[in-house]
Amino acid sequence: MLIEARDLSYTYMPGTPFQVEALKKINLGIARGEFVGVIGETGSGKSTLVQHFNGLLKPTGGEMCVEGKNIWHGETNLRKLRSRIALLFQFPEHQLFEETVFNDVAFGPRNLGMSGSEMEQRVRFGLTSMGLDFDTYRDRSPFHLSGGEKRRVAMAGIMAMRPEVVVLDEPTAGMDPVGRRKFMEQVSRLHREEKLTVILVTHNMEEIARLAERLFVFNRGELVLQGQPAEVFKSVSLIKETGLEIPAFSELLQQLRQRGKEVRTDLFTVGDVAGEILKLSREERT
Amino acid sequence: MSGMRSITLGHYLPGNSILHRLDPRAKLMGLLILIAALFLIKTFSGFFYFGLFFVLTFVSSRLPWRYFMRGLKPVLYIVFFTLILHFLFTKGGQVFWRFGPLTIEENGVFLGSFMTLRLILLVITTLLVTLTTSPIAFADGIEFLLRPLRVFRVPGHEIAMMMTIALRFIPTLMEESDKIRKAQMARGADFESGNIFRRARNLVPLLVPLFVSAFRRADDLAVAMESRCYRGGDNRTKMRQQQVTCLDYLGVFTTCGIAAAIVLTGV
Repeated sequence: MLIEARDLSYTYMPGTPFQVEALKKINLGIARGEFVGVIGETGSGKSTLVQHFNGLLKPTGGEMCVEGKNIWHGETNLRKLRSRIALLFQFPEHQLFEETVFNDVAFGPRNLGMSGSEMEQRVRFGLTSMGLDFDTYRDRSPFHLSGGEKRRVAMAGIMAMRPEVVVLDEPTAGMDPVGRRKFMEQVSRLHREEKLTVILVTHNMEEIARLAERLFVFNRGELVLQGQPAEVFKSVSLIKETGLEIPAFSELLQQLRQRGKEVRTDLFTVGDVAGEILKLSREERT
Repeated sequence: MSGMRSITLGHYLPGNSILHRLDPRAKLMGLLILIAALFLIKTFSGFFYFGLFFVLTFVSSRLPWRYFMRGLKPVLYIVFFTLILHFLFTKGGQVFWRFGPLTIEENGVFLGSFMTLRLILLVITTLLVTLTTSPIAFADGIEFLLRPLRVFRVPGHEIAMMMTIALRFIPTLMEESDKIRKAQMARGADFESGNIFRRARNLVPLLVPLFVSAFRRADDLAVAMESRCYRGGDNRTKMRQQQVTCLDYLGVFTTCGIAAAIVLTGV
């Protein structure tokens, strides 16, 4: 396992009246090259969890391991770890600070000790990997871009570090549908082509069902369910109990099945579901 | 997170004790009287009675003492510094200790412990009030106390409003700076090592986004207030009407009486 949590617990402000137990004995593992989704209601502990993956938070109990080694024992270089396991926070456009897009994207590579053409190459990679043209954007001010562009520049800043893993904390929150689709297309392309490990925290069930290979469901600081999307969304009552929704397609297919129709329930895209229903109606006619 | 933890100074803890229920205006007046008394006391026995009064009120407030002590921590450095300065540099009276040019003399020890005690009592009394008064109630109290200054065109309401807004945004901005700090750390930023100039320069990636977001929030808030037709000052009614009860009068008068008694025994 690349990333592994063992009995991981985290308590905010321990020893004060404001103490909150955010994570309770979490056990999970994520392998190299996987695309996993983390879902749960607001306040269920998912954002707290992902901040443990690159050592931004230190667990108050249990272990956080990367490649089998506890990152808080011995001499794991946390700065190096953070360039391998990159984290993109919610509303990442708020972290932009440089005068030009180039400089902002170059911030990460520069912190890794790069300069000159090597750095430029990284910036070029970062921008193009998010579908932004290097020459069009390099000298523009990040503060004068549109919301969607800002967010892609922020993500480019992460990609310029050439991480092995990216953790995305609700990356498309508040974006319009087109911007959201473009953003997620780039991410899944990076996952396919660059073998990037992606950990996606989201509220968008349709999106996660389509993209993720495995899901972790959180409720009040506990990992209540994990498995492939089709498996996870079968536990309708448990999912609804945690305050989440079942993707509409999943629910549709499951209802058809309950009424005795022979349909697959592990389909999450319009095309697949339409095909399945057409097949069904054809069978019924004959 | 470490930054969040140390700022417990003046962090309101909800509760239902007499001290919590007292009107903020009464509490502020009581506090002013006690601070005045503190500066009038000239003897240690005065401080002793004052401390006794503090302990009684503290126990009645049912605040967890551990939490209270933690709020005191940042002040301890100043207290310690005061003590050292007085010990070393206030001269006169019997010489207790000598090391080269350094001497600790009677007057220094006396004045040092005296000032330290006064400072500690000052801080813990204030802390007791801020911990039992919600920030909004506190600002309301300030507005009331500033009212007589209207004669001198002091904009009491505006000052109180600014205080409320500032207090309201401290946690928000702390959270924001924590988030930006982490986001930049995820891009390899280093906020912990290097000399002071390097560190200052390393703060740019933190400060620029923080200022941008502070201005954005200020703008949003201004628009939100404007669209609700906010205008401060005269003829403005309050959502929470403060009711002065017998308890409040009793509180202020008791405090006055006790403070006077302490001052009289301690002069």
